[in-house]
Amino acid sequence: MAVTITGGRVYDPANGVDGVVKDISIGDDGRVTADANGGASRTIDATGMLVFPGGVDVHTHVAGGALNFARGLVPENQRVARKFVHTPELRAGIGGLTPTTFATGYLYAGMGWTTVNEAAVPILSAKHTHEEMHDIPIVDKSTLLLMANNELMLDLLEVGEFERAKSLVAWLLCASKTFGIKAVNPGGVAAWKWGKNANQLHQPIEGYSKVTAAQIVMDLARIVDELGLPHPMHLHQNNLGVPGNVSSTIETMNMLQGRRAHLAHLQFHAYGGQDWSTMRSGAKEVADAFMKHTNLTCDVGAILFGDAVTITADGPWQHFLHELTGRKWGNLDVENETGCGIVPYVYSDHKLVNAIQWAVGLELLLLIDDPWRVYLTTDHPNGGGFWRYPEIMRLLMDVEFRRSEVKKLPPEALNRISLPEIDREYSITEMVIVTSAGPARALGLKQKGHLGAGADGDVTIYSAKPDADGVMFTHPRYVLKGGKVVVEEGEIRALTEGRVFLVHPDYDPAIEDFLRPTFQKLYTLSFENYPTEMTRLKHPETVPCAPSGSSAPSASAEPR
Amino acid sequence: MISLTLQRSVDTVPLEAESICPDVIAGLDNNAVRALPVYLGKRQCRLDDFFAVAGETSDEIELRGDLRKVRWIGRGMSRGRISIDGNAGMHLGAYMKGGTIEVSGAASDWVGAEMSGGVIRVAGNAGGQIGAAYRGSPRGMTDGTIVIGGSAGLEVGMRMKRGLIIIGGLVRDFAGLEMKGGTIVLRSGAELRTGAWMQRGTIISLRPIPLLPSFLYSSSYVPTFMGVLARHLASLQISLPVDQQVGVYQRFLGDTSVVGKGEILVWGAHTGA
Amino acid sequence: MGGKVTCTLGEVKNRADFIIYWGGNPAECHPRHFTKYTIMQKGKFVPQGRKGRTMITIDIRETPSARAADIALIIKSGKDFELGTTMRALMKGQPVDEERVAEIGLSLDTITDLVERMKRAKFGVIFFGMGLSMTRGKHMNSAGILNIAAEMNAFTKFVCMPMRGHGNVTGADVVLRWTTGYPFGVNLSRGYPRFNPGEFSTVDLLVRGDNDATLVLGADPGATMPQPAIDHLTRTPTIVLDPKVTHTSKLARVHFTTAVTGVSAGGTAYRMDEIPITLRPGLKSPYRTDEEIVNLIIAAVAKKPGWRPAAVMPRAGIA
Repeated sequence: MAVTITGGRVYDPANGVDGVVKDISIGDDGRVTADANGGASRTIDATGMLVFPGGVDVHTHVAGGALNFARGLVPENQRVARKFVHTPELRAGIGGLTPTTFATGYLYAGMGWTTVNEAAVPILSAKHTHEEMHDIPIVDKSTLLLMANNELMLDLLEVGEFERAKSLVAWLLCASKTFGIKAVNPGGVAAWKWGKNANQLHQPIEGYSKVTAAQIVMDLARIVDELGLPHPMHLHQNNLGVPGNVSSTIETMNMLQGRRAHLAHLQFHAYGGQDWSTMRSGAKEVADAFMKHTNLTCDVGAILFGDAVTITADGPWQHFLHELTGRKWGNLDVENETGCGIVPYVYSDHKLVNAIQWAVGLELLLLIDDPWRVYLTTDHPNGGGFWRYPEIMRLLMDVEFRRSEVKKLPPEALNRISLPEIDREYSITEMVIVTSAGPARALGLKQKGHLGAGADGDVTIYSAKPDADGVMFTHPRYVLKGGKVVVEEGEIRALTEGRVFLVHPDYDPAIEDFLRPTFQKLYTLSFENYPTEMTRLKHPETVPCAPSGSSAPSASAEPR
Repeated sequence: MISLTLQRSVDTVPLEAESICPDVIAGLDNNAVRALPVYLGKRQCRLDDFFAVAGETSDEIELRGDLRKVRWIGRGMSRGRISIDGNAGMHLGAYMKGGTIEVSGAASDWVGAEMSGGVIRVAGNAGGQIGAAYRGSPRGMTDGTIVIGGSAGLEVGMRMKRGLIIIGGLVRDFAGLEMKGGTIVLRSGAELRTGAWMQRGTIISLRPIPLLPSFLYSSSYVPTFMGVLARHLASLQISLPVDQQVGVYQRFLGDTSVVGKGEILVWGAHTGA
Repeated sequence: MGGKVTCTLGEVKNRADFIIYWGGNPAECHPRHFTKYTIMQKGKFVPQGRKGRTMITIDIRETPSARAADIALIIKSGKDFELGTTMRALMKGQPVDEERVAEIGLSLDTITDLVERMKRAKFGVIFFGMGLSMTRGKHMNSAGILNIAAEMNAFTKFVCMPMRGHGNVTGADVVLRWTTGYPFGVNLSRGYPRFNPGEFSTVDLLVRGDNDATLVLGADPGATMPQPAIDHLTRTPTIVLDPKVTHTSKLARVHFTTAVTGVSAGGTAYRMDEIPITLRPGLKSPYRTDEEIVNLIIAAVAKKPGWRPAAVMPRAGIA
């Protein structure tokens, strides 16, 4: 028996435990055990404290080519960011909006988050992502593979070769050692290779005569379902950030009828109005539509006032933001696959547009009345740093505080948003759902987000009382990872190594005969050098797929 | 007055001494001043490992010695006075908000970097990046005055937004690079690429200087504000020619490569005058 | 402030119909660049290959690369910054001083024509080399190219890419960024990473003699650096890890011969466009790898009495 946590008020909504004082025991295997046979090597007295399953960040950007590009673009941010001083146990590092790898692990663990989903990986540089993951301590990780602008796949969809496209996607997931599928601005990033975008869902993509953004969305969702991936297609929709994109968002939801999908950073896709001067919150309409589409989950991507760095595969949007703001701009197009754009940004509570954005994120969390389907994120670092999640938690749980913050907004904002009329306050249980239990379920990580028998011993223990500033949840008293105390009273105590989750869906082995010559023709390295070797992953763990009626024969090869 | 006299030469590994700052030292007694941390490379030392320390509880600091490798003196200061009888190292008065710094000898790079107020005077030569932005920062100094008696290096006033920089000797390339505002006076002219990519601001050169193709001649005159500036500089014991009988300023507008609205004013005495 | 607008090499292969090589000589320094990635390739959207692409060189002399160009522009030495600035003005329809343009060594008409051609391209790319980044102006010459590429995106698709040097310099850059937040010139003396080119960059540090020991891995400053730097390396303890005995080795206190990375030692190299490639060593070496030697040094240092850096430099009010 590794550890017993006694006397704490346990919140385990996945198992119906709603603030009950009970003990949690974690065995030597690092998993929660119902057996309390005594003999724990450590007992934590959590009397007067709250015991939660460790936080799960379903959408963040912490590792890989795009994030590393961003690091180089903003030395001025690093200069003023939190510093991590080298000690015999801890590596040196820099926090801030683009933290260095070691600091990323320390920061997430330090705030009680124990599982992190890196939302954007290109296949061509997947090795780089995995190298950085290797250097992020403590937290468990999953990754999403960028697919919606993969031109090999688009070329197949153009000529109606759906089955082959599906096999290709499966092969690429296996080759890149990733966990799920990410779709960003479907067709738009491919169009950006020629300096264009894809704003119309039903127009053919630049360079294609048949494939539309809508088709990509529906085909990829279908592929993900047929492959039976644990996590649904994770979609950054077309028309991000554009006033009036409510209609595009609702139409996209309608298109996904009957399919699982996860809508990323929904805040950026919930704007009404026609242009910047008439922009208003569209959160009500989006929330209403979302409630009807019970097949969908989402994360909000809320913004917080202050510095941010926008990092996204949505290249055309980033060029636009650069031209709009004059801030510096990074862009990297990845051959045949995807791209990324980076623009540092500041959200200001004096700016009408930013005030509306701030309200929209909170409105979505408050108006969507099903915490199991809406999750707390800031699309870090696009909306703000992940260590600021407790600020959002406070705004959700304390309507008086929320009202006092609304008062600081420019007066013109008030009749563009619905936030002032919303009374709802999140309960602790609901908070645990949107920061842990819900995202774990959406990711399909069955041992995460709960504290029932068999769950990973990832536990975050908070004081039940607010700190001197009246804030809760900023500094956990204890954080356990796999049953080991990794953080205690604000200090890192142990440096465990996290696991990397991946999938290995079946594919028709004939896909390699198609892919090899196509690859050699279109890419610039040897086909043998394309896949990421399994040896690059520290503690990989394959999560099974549950394919639905696939017609292709399966290649039951072991992951290489 | 607190007197710090260098006892031990600092000639290889530089000494980082951001503790030598009126805001840090003002309320401290002599023992506390002696114990202030300074960093020799990776080693943390005491101020009195390097300096003899006399005096206490003052915001006036006097330094003596060849401090050319003592860096960050006066970092972020908002009040008081630092006077150095000798040379000073990099980052002198960086992030300064107020007060004054005076150096009898030479200074190094990054004097007054990103300062927002106060006055720095260096009698001798200085290095580059005077009043400039640190790498990646959108802006350099936002106010204050820097006077360098001797020459200066590259990127003087890079991305400065407001404030006044006066350099007595020759300045190297890129003076006023990406300037956003403020005034730079080059008493002995500059080498190449002055005002490169400037958006706004005024660069005054008292000697002819080579200009980029993206600066266009506008007119020749003595602008009215020159009289105001000259009076202000006179209070700093610096003269500026303004007599139309003696000469005029040729005004060049640019940098057109960034559609900038900056100006470079180059003094030319009338021939035969 | 512009930015960095770039792509991976396959984008150039598949799309680029307008390629500028500025201050670089790939024919001799990156010998497979033309054939593998750029002008000679038949791309997905440039199926005619060489015939579908226009290649321009900009250099101070005629090189073998210039001889392969459709248009070889020869400019006066030290005028890259002026040319870049002029191009940025013309691109925006802004006036320039014709006499001062002529000092570049090209006529205003030639440069105007160049900019017009760039605007007409479907996909333009500027590769820039050390002829630019190592001559007067240095990083500002590179910044000029970066700004041209970024600003050209108002008209058409345009990117740029630095022609990196040998020895996996890109890999060092990439790894330093993710572990320290900065690409080079990283100072860890105060226990956390700090960055200030000119203060902590190698040549400047060595010329001023700011350090009291040097470990050199896979570089030869004793051959390339200014004399004061070489004198400093000679005066202070210098340790070299290299497969060969280099100029630096000869003035060092200790030299370790190590296995050649990529031939006998494995690892990951990052291509100039930051794509990681697994190295597959084919031969065995009697020498240990750099990694093994470095780890042994780390272990030996760990046995020494430790030091703990105490305080981070406090934030000073920065706007």
